[in-house]
Amino acid sequence: MTESLFKISGGYVYDPKNEIDGQVKDLWVQDGKIVEPPTDPTTRPSKTLNATGFVVMPGGIDMHCHIAGPKVNTARKMRPEEKRQAEPVERSAISHSGTMGSVPSTFATGYKYAGLGYTTAFDAAVPPLSARHAHEEFEDTPCIDKGFYVLMGNNHYIMKAIQEHEPERLRSFVAWLLGASKGFAAKLVNPGGVEVWKHHQAGNVNTVDQEVDFYNVTPRHIIREMSRTVDELRLPHSVHIHCNNLGLPGNWTTTLETMQALEGHRGHITHIQFHSYGGGDGDEDTLNSKVTPLAEYVNSHENITVDVGQVMFGETTSMTGDGPLGYFLHNIYGTKWFSSDTELESGCGIAPIKYRNKSLVHALQWAIGLEWYLQVHDPWRVVMSTDHPNGGSFLAYPQIIRLLMDRTYRQDVLKTVNPGIRERSSLPDLDREYTLNEIAIITRAGPAKILGLTNKGHLGIGADADITIYAPHENKETMFELPRYVIKSGQVIVEDGEIRETLNGHTLHVAPDYDRDVEENIADWFEQYYSIRFRNYPVSDGYLHKPQKVACRSNI
Amino acid sequence: MTLQLRYKGSTNVPVEVEGITPCSLRDKTLAEIEQCTIFHGNDKVPLAEFFDVSGTASNEEMQWLGDLSGVHWIGAKMLRGKISIHGNGGRHIGSELQGGEIDVEGNAGDWVGAEMHGGTIHVRGNAGHLIGAAYRGSARGMTGGRILIDGNVGNEIGHTMRRGLLAVGGNAGDLAAFNMLAGTILVFGESGIRHGAGMRRGTLGFFGNNSPPLLPSFQHACRYQPEFVPLLFAQLKGHDFVVPEHLFTTEFDLYHGDLIEGGRGEILTVAA
Repeated sequence: MTESLFKISGGYVYDPKNEIDGQVKDLWVQDGKIVEPPTDPTTRPSKTLNATGFVVMPGGIDMHCHIAGPKVNTARKMRPEEKRQAEPVERSAISHSGTMGSVPSTFATGYKYAGLGYTTAFDAAVPPLSARHAHEEFEDTPCIDKGFYVLMGNNHYIMKAIQEHEPERLRSFVAWLLGASKGFAAKLVNPGGVEVWKHHQAGNVNTVDQEVDFYNVTPRHIIREMSRTVDELRLPHSVHIHCNNLGLPGNWTTTLETMQALEGHRGHITHIQFHSYGGGDGDEDTLNSKVTPLAEYVNSHENITVDVGQVMFGETTSMTGDGPLGYFLHNIYGTKWFSSDTELESGCGIAPIKYRNKSLVHALQWAIGLEWYLQVHDPWRVVMSTDHPNGGSFLAYPQIIRLLMDRTYRQDVLKTVNPGIRERSSLPDLDREYTLNEIAIITRAGPAKILGLTNKGHLGIGADADITIYAPHENKETMFELPRYVIKSGQVIVEDGEIRETLNGHTLHVAPDYDRDVEENIADWFEQYYSIRFRNYPVSDGYLHKPQKVACRSNI
Repeated sequence: MTLQLRYKGSTNVPVEVEGITPCSLRDKTLAEIEQCTIFHGNDKVPLAEFFDVSGTASNEEMQWLGDLSGVHWIGAKMLRGKISIHGNGGRHIGSELQGGEIDVEGNAGDWVGAEMHGGTIHVRGNAGHLIGAAYRGSARGMTGGRILIDGNVGNEIGHTMRRGLLAVGGNAGDLAAFNMLAGTILVFGESGIRHGAGMRRGTLGFFGNNSPPLLPSFQHACRYQPEFVPLLFAQLKGHDFVVPEHLFTTEFDLYHGDLIEGGRGEILTVAA
């Protein structure tokens, strides 16, 4: 018997990256990694898990969610009424207690992701000034590997470097900022628009070509220069873009122009559902789906990937680095609202929202999300997300899977929502059904590829032994909402929904090389404008809990 | 014999008895009642660890005895029945009450009748802050029922109150009816400042000898004798609540506000 050798035998393995589509296969695990089967036939594993009859997939990867940092924490504090009503997460001998609602507490977030078969998640919007806070919350988010994207789309230094046509300084700053915050990717949220919001009452940019006050740059400039910079740095993930004009009727043209502004560089358009609306003049009555022309553009441009930001019906909390969006939602729904200004870096807006299936707008948002899954031909370039918690909780993923895999169920649900969407969306005419292999792509293999995580999203030799084992069921929602086993780094952490181990995952970050001479200039900038001294800003390696540096790509 | 729970604890750590209501215990045996779970801090313990239990709950009545000022959530979410607290009670008495009666012989803590929907709570002594209020983050406070406090109360009573009656025989602190949506709050003693800030509708009555200063966003409308006031007072007297006789015939000054929120609320003060 070989110590620490773990065999998972006889399962139907779905590993799209290695072109394994439901074949019966044994997996061998050692030291948290998938390893070659022993060549010596007499070798016996120290532990065997009989997965005969079960479906085996890599652990899920949520590439766009909001689970840590100041906005999430503020949202938790804003929604005590939700937490009082939600079923509490009870503590056990090995796990902490927690609270649920649309913004679960840190420990509960880790347990619930693991319970759903997800082993990696990325917070999509952290101001670098608050990176330390996000890392502290990550330390209290067990069971999963995690990382965050750094808000850069309204950063004054970045806009100044673009304004002054200094691409090398921009490149060095972006690399320095990612390293200093221990972030994973560059995020643009309403590029330029948040800065305009800070200067004008109800301000925002309306097009990608509107100039930002004081910097004489436009969103198009920011998108083009940042996508080029990220490619030049060969970061594992492309620039991650929350487009301008989120949620507004007629915003699909802005989204199309954003894609065009990439000028062939890699770009990930996030929660694209919220950016695919026809109609005009801010009039919600004119709202309709423009997924078809946008999906055609995505289908014909391989530099672009998307995640959906699916809306699911029910109560949730919108949280965003898009300050004017928070104000917009507060005005529409008359709910409480939080807005903040992170000095030279970003903004933030938070407002509760309830998506109702009888509302034409909400039903259309739901339908548009599903259209995106069904109209992008290549599943490797569309990723499942609810923009947790903006469109709904990550706990809704099993229901989305059922909607994608079962068109009869989809049509049944369609009958229960506002009938007005039939003339405004192509969803009723779409009869595509996802296969298990395609589900494995949009929930794990695809996001891993898009994020440049070579050890994740697959079950090949050398991959992280993050594995989810499901009991097959005709109802795919039932199948995916309660995995039989979840294995993280080679350890069984969940069994039938019960937490068995609470190991802490890694914090994934990048540390790209850059010209160190830029630091003097950045230090001067800090001393002049920031509320924090330059030397106190970077998050040191020692501050992170189980850091894991992800290498830049060898080529783009 | 009515169910009696006699407190025998001597802890400074809060004891929380949420869910221990007459209707929830109605069909339980004494042994089962003793094993009902309560919280001592964050520890779950059986009820019998802190209370001597006797009698039966079959008549949907229960009595709490002893100094219960460290025992919280008595009668919370009660649907029906009657609770008598012979002594002082802690915080959150009758929180989210749906129906039935709660009578407190002594004093009560904060959050009495918070977010209650129906029923009656009568505190014979003083009570704390945020009586009948909304819990932090909630859209509305008490939405129905009646809270009668014979003694004094603290700040922010009726915070975001939506419906129902809250009457205070003694003095009140500051910020009564903050963000009030509707309902009635009557204070028969002296009171603090900034009442009715952000109120949209509803009625506040300040009937002490000295009328409180009102916010500038309240506008004097008239001096009159509203017909509904004596009816309201008579109803209060019918619930064993003391109303000074002279108030039945006095004149009141009517103010409208909060004008920032439309000015559909009203404040009555005794005409000087």
